[in-house]
Amino acid sequence: MKSTTAGLLAVVLLVIGIIGGYFAGVSTAPAAETVTVTQTVEGAGMATTVTKTVTKTVQAPGEVQELTVYALWSGVEEENFKMALGAFSMKTGIKINYVSQPELRDVVTTQLAAGTSEADVIIAPWPTWIKDELGAAGLLEDVTDIVNKVGKDKFPSAYLDVVSENGKFYAVPFKAWAKPGFWYNKQVFDELGLKPPTTWDEFMNVLDTLKAAGITPIASGDGVGWPLSDLVEAFIIGLGGPELQLKLINHEVAWTDPQVREIFGRIQQLLKGGYFDEAREWTIQIDRLMERKVGIYFMGNWINLMLQERGYRPGIDYDVFAFPGTGGIVAGGDWAFIPKFAKNKEAARMLLEFLAGAEAQTIMVKLKGFLATNKDVPKEAYDAADRNIVDMLGTLAVLPDLDDSTPSEFQRLFWDKLKELWANPDALDSVLAELEQKASEVIG
Amino acid sequence: MKTRRTTIIIFLLPSILFLSLFVIYPMLYNFYISLFKWKVVRIESFIGLDNYVKLLNNPQFHRAFINNLIWILIHVPTTTVLGLLLAVLLKRVKGSYIIKSVIFLGMVIPQIVVGIMLLFMFDSDAGVINGLLRSLNGFLTSVGLTEFSFPIRSWTAYPDTALPALIIGSIWIWTGFAVVVYSAGLEGIPKDLYDAAAVDGASPIKTFWHITIPMLRPATIVVVTMTLIWVLKIFDIVYVATRGGPGGATNVMAYMMYEQGFVFYKWGIAAAIATIFTVIILAFSVYLVRSMVRR
Repeated sequence: MKSTTAGLLAVVLLVIGIIGGYFAGVSTAPAAETVTVTQTVEGAGMATTVTKTVTKTVQAPGEVQELTVYALWSGVEEENFKMALGAFSMKTGIKINYVSQPELRDVVTTQLAAGTSEADVIIAPWPTWIKDELGAAGLLEDVTDIVNKVGKDKFPSAYLDVVSENGKFYAVPFKAWAKPGFWYNKQVFDELGLKPPTTWDEFMNVLDTLKAAGITPIASGDGVGWPLSDLVEAFIIGLGGPELQLKLINHEVAWTDPQVREIFGRIQQLLKGGYFDEAREWTIQIDRLMERKVGIYFMGNWINLMLQERGYRPGIDYDVFAFPGTGGIVAGGDWAFIPKFAKNKEAARMLLEFLAGAEAQTIMVKLKGFLATNKDVPKEAYDAADRNIVDMLGTLAVLPDLDDSTPSEFQRLFWDKLKELWANPDALDSVLAELEQKASEVIG
Repeated sequence: MKTRRTTIIIFLLPSILFLSLFVIYPMLYNFYISLFKWKVVRIESFIGLDNYVKLLNNPQFHRAFINNLIWILIHVPTTTVLGLLLAVLLKRVKGSYIIKSVIFLGMVIPQIVVGIMLLFMFDSDAGVINGLLRSLNGFLTSVGLTEFSFPIRSWTAYPDTALPALIIGSIWIWTGFAVVVYSAGLEGIPKDLYDAAAVDGASPIKTFWHITIPMLRPATIVVVTMTLIWVLKIFDIVYVATRGGPGGATNVMAYMMYEQGFVFYKWGIAAAIATIFTVIILAFSVYLVRSMVRR
């Protein structure tokens, strides 16, 4: 009996020891010793080299802090982001565990619903989700002090307004992106004597010439659903004007309205005429564009990075033109925030401040395919293609992304209905009727 | 007598505890969740059975339910018949275990991978299915039957072919299970029965019909029950290959449940689907297990 009691006591003490040890391990703070080091980062497969002199906080042995960061980026975008994270680690001694999370929205919401969070810092491109769903439910940390420390005047107000409520900030702006227009294979255009079109007639002439040359004129990106949405938005803004995009987001105009029907009618005619390629996984279409299987491809500025990664040169092998006569350009961003249940909030706040600053964003801009939200990033940091997009942002009306600005329920239906339209153009009227019904239901 | 009862209770207690904790409690809690309206991750208000009423009036749910039904009606008989025929045919083939292992491979591949493979298999450029159709079209053209050529397209991208494509894929991965179960069943049939039938001059078809099929009844019940439950809760393939589209053409109840809960945060509706789901699966399971026990 005595030996059983002693055994039980030993087990209890062991468990207490393990738990105590665990908590002692996670609650350590970095030591204060600092040294200056020079760090060189190279872009994945590119000639860009960024040399930085940073102050590094050296921690005592056994006191390594670790942050888990969730974002959507994978492939070369992930590699580049890790460069910026590496600079932060060098500076602070805080280790970063980056997780590329393609189902970020679902995973994060589920974790927060369960009262936990694997990630200390999350980066996402959906301000409505961040502010109105997670922030309003009290699931995010207040980061107003970080925004104030970096300086509100350092960011375009549009990037701050969408993640703040009554002066309280739920996230800090990190990346900006834009969807400038149709990317094209310059050599194909040169060989066929084509020039970037500026009117609808010229646009149709380009499509007809490409078709006659045996090239499917317009690539249709697929995957989760957003590439088709981006393409359709280009038609909405280009043919209906920037205000139509805003009205549709707020459901101030019906999806069955004659003006909307007319724009979709043009898309329907192009679909029936064989001007659009079959919807295919969106990164495959990048290769098809350069392999001369498709003529033009509507996509965001990140394609610049992907094309260069494949060895193509901007302005020589490829270029981009805006939708003919368009008055607007869709732009958005990625915001970094800290979930309420993050385990290492102090280190997470340090990372947010770093990401919002010019230092991290300059590293990212130099690695290409990244537009900065911080105004202190010098224009010289951009390459020619990205600078062109920055200039477009200065001359066109900057608009929010339609599907990203609507509730998830409408967004999913929108994506699905566009896929249906691509498969069956005759379903146009039922597609618009269903979109109208859902918009009335979830937007009002 | 009392000691015997105590012993029974002690032996049953761990199972009862585990079942209560991991099956009965979650089922009841799920039903509790379904009685509320949710706002992202917080309960907004008690709404009784409103979520069930909404669901039963939702055309999307009707479609998902019908798709599940179509899936069952095609998949279950096809897998059962294919499994039985392959098991019988392979019984006398030397080294048939190699063929059976290959057929069974589908069962050991993660379904997420199967979904991706299906996308590739039915792709218009790289897909093996369209490759075969191209060869067939070439043959038809060579014999002057061009008008009977098959269309070449990404099957999963079109509402009329997406569901059949996924069903074909699910049959491919599940047939191995039926083959293995039927093969085991065939080994258990006494040889005397076949000898007696041969003495009586029964033809192979009559022997198959009057001996093999009745003797394989327990195996058939296992195959049908397991296949039915598997098809009812089918999710992974749909999630990876089509996400229920295009135009809701491949939406099924399990995918709808996921979407309502984890994408739209309508946890109440998702829980209501789960409850309906549980009732349907329980009804099937009870019926089939009872028929097995009765025997």
